[in-house]
Amino acid sequence: MVATALENTKAGETAEIYLPDNTILGNVLALEYIPFGNKIAIYDIPKGTKVLKYGAEIGVSTEDIPKGSLVHVHNVKSQTVDIPPAIKEEIMRQIREKQERGA
Amino acid sequence: MNFKGYLRPDGTIGIRNKLLIIGVDECCEGIARSIAKNFDDAVVLTNWYTCMLGGNEETLNQLIAVGKNPNVAGVLVIAMGCGSIGPSDVAREIGETGKPVYTITCQKVGGTRKSVQLGTEYLNKLKEYVGGLESQEFPISRLIVGVKCGGSDTSSGIASNPSVGAAVDKLIDMGATCIGGELFELLGCQKVLEARASSPAVFERINQLIENERQRWSVEGTDVETMSIGNCVGGITTIEEKSLGALHKTGTKPIIDILQINKDFIDTPKDPGFYLSEVTMLCGGAGVNFASHGAHMILWTSGAAGFNNPIVPVIRVSGNKDLFNDDMDVDVTGIMDGSETIDSASDKIIDKVIDVANGIPTQIEGIGESTLTLYQKDQRLEKLLNLSCCSK
Repeated sequence: MVATALENTKAGETAEIYLPDNTILGNVLALEYIPFGNKIAIYDIPKGTKVLKYGAEIGVSTEDIPKGSLVHVHNVKSQTVDIPPAIKEEIMRQIREKQERGA
Repeated sequence: MNFKGYLRPDGTIGIRNKLLIIGVDECCEGIARSIAKNFDDAVVLTNWYTCMLGGNEETLNQLIAVGKNPNVAGVLVIAMGCGSIGPSDVAREIGETGKPVYTITCQKVGGTRKSVQLGTEYLNKLKEYVGGLESQEFPISRLIVGVKCGGSDTSSGIASNPSVGAAVDKLIDMGATCIGGELFELLGCQKVLEARASSPAVFERINQLIENERQRWSVEGTDVETMSIGNCVGGITTIEEKSLGALHKTGTKPIIDILQINKDFIDTPKDPGFYLSEVTMLCGGAGVNFASHGAHMILWTSGAAGFNNPIVPVIRVSGNKDLFNDDMDVDVTGIMDGSETIDSASDKIIDKVIDVANGIPTQIEGIGESTLTLYQKDQRLEKLLNLSCCSK
């Protein structure tokens, strides 16, 4: 229920979702900035749901994630070895900084 | 599909004719290099874990296994003479393959100068032997290809890993053998691996060896890196996600078994198909691990690191347009903007596998190989963590 951004996507932009054979699955409206390489929710993800990427579980959502939101360390945790909270903050800070720089 | 290789006396096939000089102890490294510098195809493998055997059995096993690798045409084993490991401890088993093996004990022949002189004579003999070898045609199913990644970035999970995985599937369909490893980076992949394991017993072995690696690399109080902030800023959220992205390079075929490397034995694949192994996630050590398993070449997914090793040629596959340079062998950057499919990229990779098998050098082969890193598990850590291998 997530897709990976292949280019920086601004809040309010509509992104096309591609399958591996380059056919189009559909569209999603980005509710916030999604940097290149990061994930966007293509369906609503309730809190406590196992998050699926490539058809396999990558973690569990720690809050409700509306369709079109950034899916990352601030709303997903690992089921094996999670990232310490201080590092999560630093990651999100660096992402926000990249956005402000217009990267 | 065929390639031209060299039939070894034991029935294995080499795609290179390397002359391997094994320094059984670090004292012989200089002698080995003085000999090697006059021979283009000479490769030096030095045991820098010192000359003592107790605790270093896994290294001894690797020295022997690398000597047996099919890309090695002939071997010279050198020891200083005061250590616990003598050259015949290494040479004897390599010699059982039928390939020419010479030994020198530096102290016995009268010192460094005499060793270099005698070693040069031996290498000349090996060079003459190689000159008389003729290549023959063999089917691609005779190839053993290792798979590894290095320095994951966003393009790894989207472009290079999936396209290598698709190539691995095609190679397996053609009857070849592929080997993956890096067990620490399979944490979180257990469900997928269980579905692919050829039997419950195989999955149990895989699980135990992944758990062994997890313990080795998560000792409380040590600050061992498993995921960098850069991975996360680049979009990777959990170790499972990183591992699942990395797992893609191993394709979708059943896992026949998991090959072990330890102080008692080193497995080599007996039947064609896909195998996991204890090949380490550390790149240099992985090269030698792959050589120990009998691999011919390695498919390596990356952003842009130019890694190679002089025994098992490395094919570098990159999907990162910004970092791509002339160290890279296969360009799969088109997947990132939709101008190439994973399927067509995998065909490019197969073409490169055949080229390299036929003797065409990779981009940095012969120009700047990495050194051969001998990596072994520390027996003291194994004991403290109470880790053991799986019974054969």
